[in-house]
Amino acid sequence: MGLGREYDVAVVGGGLLGSSLAWGLGRLGQRVVVLDEGDIAKRASRANFALVWVQTKGLGLPEYTSWTLRASETWEQLAATLETETGLDVCFRRPGGFHLALGDREMELRRDVLARLHNQPGAADYRTELLDHAGVRKMMPEIGPEVAGGSYCPYDGHVNSLRVFRALHTAFGHQGVDYRPDHAVTAISGNNGAFHLTTRHGEIVAGKVVLAAGNANAMLAPMVGLSAPMEPNRGQIVVTERAAPFLHFPMTTLRQSDEGTVMIGDSKEDEIDDRAHHMPIDVMMANRAVRMFPKLAALNVVRAWSGIRVMTRDGFPIYDQSESHPGAFVVCCHSGVTLAPNHAFDIAPMIASGVLDEAVVGAFSARRFARPSGERAA
Amino acid sequence: MSAAPEIEHVDILVIGAGPAGLAAAASTASAGLTTLLVDENASPGGQIYRRITRSPFVDAAILGDDYWEGRPLVADFEASGAAFCGETQVWSLDATRRVGMSHKGRSRFVQAERVIIATGAQERPFPIPGWTLPGVMSVGAAQTVLKASALVPDGRLVIAGQGPLIWLYAAQHLRAGGTIEAILDTTPRANYLAALPLLPQFIGSRYALKGARLMREVARKTRIVRHVDALRAEGEDRVSAIRYRVGKKESRIETDILLLHQGVIPHVNLAMAAGVAHRWDERQACFAPVLDPFGQSAIDGIAIAGDGAGIGGAEAAAERGRLAAWAAIKALRPQVEDKVPPVEEILKALAGAEKGRAFLDRLFLPRKQFRVPVEDDTIVCRCEEVTAGAIRQAIKIGAAGPNQLKAYLRCGMGPCQGRLCGLTVTELIAAERAISQDETGYYRLRMPVKPITLGELAAIEPDARAVSAVVRE
Repeated sequence: MGLGREYDVAVVGGGLLGSSLAWGLGRLGQRVVVLDEGDIAKRASRANFALVWVQTKGLGLPEYTSWTLRASETWEQLAATLETETGLDVCFRRPGGFHLALGDREMELRRDVLARLHNQPGAADYRTELLDHAGVRKMMPEIGPEVAGGSYCPYDGHVNSLRVFRALHTAFGHQGVDYRPDHAVTAISGNNGAFHLTTRHGEIVAGKVVLAAGNANAMLAPMVGLSAPMEPNRGQIVVTERAAPFLHFPMTTLRQSDEGTVMIGDSKEDEIDDRAHHMPIDVMMANRAVRMFPKLAALNVVRAWSGIRVMTRDGFPIYDQSESHPGAFVVCCHSGVTLAPNHAFDIAPMIASGVLDEAVVGAFSARRFARPSGERAA
Repeated sequence: MSAAPEIEHVDILVIGAGPAGLAAAASTASAGLTTLLVDENASPGGQIYRRITRSPFVDAAILGDDYWEGRPLVADFEASGAAFCGETQVWSLDATRRVGMSHKGRSRFVQAERVIIATGAQERPFPIPGWTLPGVMSVGAAQTVLKASALVPDGRLVIAGQGPLIWLYAAQHLRAGGTIEAILDTTPRANYLAALPLLPQFIGSRYALKGARLMREVARKTRIVRHVDALRAEGEDRVSAIRYRVGKKESRIETDILLLHQGVIPHVNLAMAAGVAHRWDERQACFAPVLDPFGQSAIDGIAIAGDGAGIGGAEAAAERGRLAAWAAIKALRPQVEDKVPPVEEILKALAGAEKGRAFLDRLFLPRKQFRVPVEDDTIVCRCEEVTAGAIRQAIKIGAAGPNQLKAYLRCGMGPCQGRLCGLTVTELIAAERAISQDETGYYRLRMPVKPITLGELAAIEPDARAVSAVVRE
């Protein structure tokens, strides 16, 4: 199967990140193969919170704020294109989003984070404002008395991320992108226009290779002279039964999906076994959610799950081409949902052309990890 | 935030008060282990002996002798000193045997040294076109109503499917004053032949005579159509008729109620969500947990007894409950081992109870077209209304297994958590991709395995680890 077959590009990883890239490459007429894991992949694309999120992104790297803003501005275009191609509405909405503070201490912390972000030299203005209880209540009348206030950013939104995933995979069929589940890549060799990728179903040969395998990039990158230092962590999400729409704005830890279910999330633990699940953490998340919106107490929880966050060591994306193995690229990022349009419309064309545009993504090279620590902050 | 509260602690927690759970709890409590038996119903008995301690039936003969065999099990349990907590839903269980349970709208965690899961069986999904119409229900559900409230459904009634429960229910229904338009028996002709070599062993079992007597009793009063190959429930707002095919001949019966049943399968949700490995059982065409001969799983201190460990019937369930209890006693109180019945005795009783099971398994193995829908318009996932056709389409774009399918279609993500579609989805994908059921796998199941409200979850005292994982400073 696939022996000796040639592709322009092999994308390793078929989650949202790899799929956005492959779709972008397919649009340019590239012959693309996507090599994915099987049914039990540690797939962040299946466990994510589906926010298209701008506020507080970029503390420590102002270029990341601009990069995220750019994505927020082009999401509508991605959603429209996918709908035209597949007939699937991915339900992108950008009403703006909130981060709510329970109590005055959390409000102070929020104020502090926003001030530090704002003070960064070169930071893009993303119009985040702090609102007190009354200010939040004007927009979300259902909040509970413990909500001290929150920050609101008009660029924040959300999407049906599972449908994005399905739409991209559906579009592969129209584009001729060859999607292969159960083809985890275990070794990569070759160079310059002929990379050989080993899978349990045989070897795949492609002119270029793009590593988009999430946390597994750490293991794959050194095979082609690249580096991807990852520090994954685990998050838990609780989801309720469907309810009539009442949460009209997405929040960092709470959102109502277009299907009516309410998702509660954003725990963070260092453990990275996604099979382990700690119900007491769900208890804590439920507790906070109900204090934010007392009305939620009546909804049934139908499911809770754990996911592994794809996370680079400093939390910012990595985009690099190998110096020793030209044609080999690595793409790592935590925000596969938010940044999907950038990956489809910006990064994919760069990969097709063979050059990453330094002016656009130069700040995101993994070379930053080689610098003495502290240089960036200075 | 206040300090974490003291968590309730027991030696043995038994989940499910059917024959396996009752026997297990009676044994461990008699050996001096603190034992808590929990069940969703208010009184013990499980499905088979539902409401045995407070049956609404004055005439004991209606439910049959097998039902009343539950009485000594309950009596032994009540004399053992084990605690019973009814109206309790267990919604989570982890590898450390911390168990989340809900009782009358309040939840708590209980820490157990050993957990014996005895959650029994559920009915096998029966996905035919129209099975989601109001008026179509399972035979098991109808029997639940009968046992709990002595009621038979109003209107014309047709039963379709196969398996011992159909005949038992039909007999109970007729004795309770109900009528049946017809029984559409889907047992394939080929199964009789295939099961024939296993017949001698079955003849000597307790099931043979009882089964034959039940079928005769029902056949005297009801029209039986055998070798039914295809079924379709028809109706607009509710079922109005059942269309069926025998060989090439199509027929139709008007009806107000359609009861479906094609056997039972282990209830896997709690054990799977706790991380117990399961494997495909070819003989019973379902997933069953991987256990040692004493019902112990690979997770330390978690055992499974009764039909949840593989379908064996009520009598075998009780013996498997005793076996799991024996292993628990041996682990926790080896000094009292001589006070419990020797394990050889239990094993011998179990072998006796399992006699004839192989024949029943083979005879009542449902045919493929009733397990994997042929028509694309058949709904597979009832909660999210996903059809067999949509699933076939998703497999074409790359759904390698049930979990990828969930991502594409939300299949299995509704309130029933896959109970009514999981097996169908696995078999459908296996058939389309021409791979085994084991290779296809099953949904990764998630807590809570029973819905609880967010408010109830929020009211539990959080622990320190949870606080630090959620509240950012």
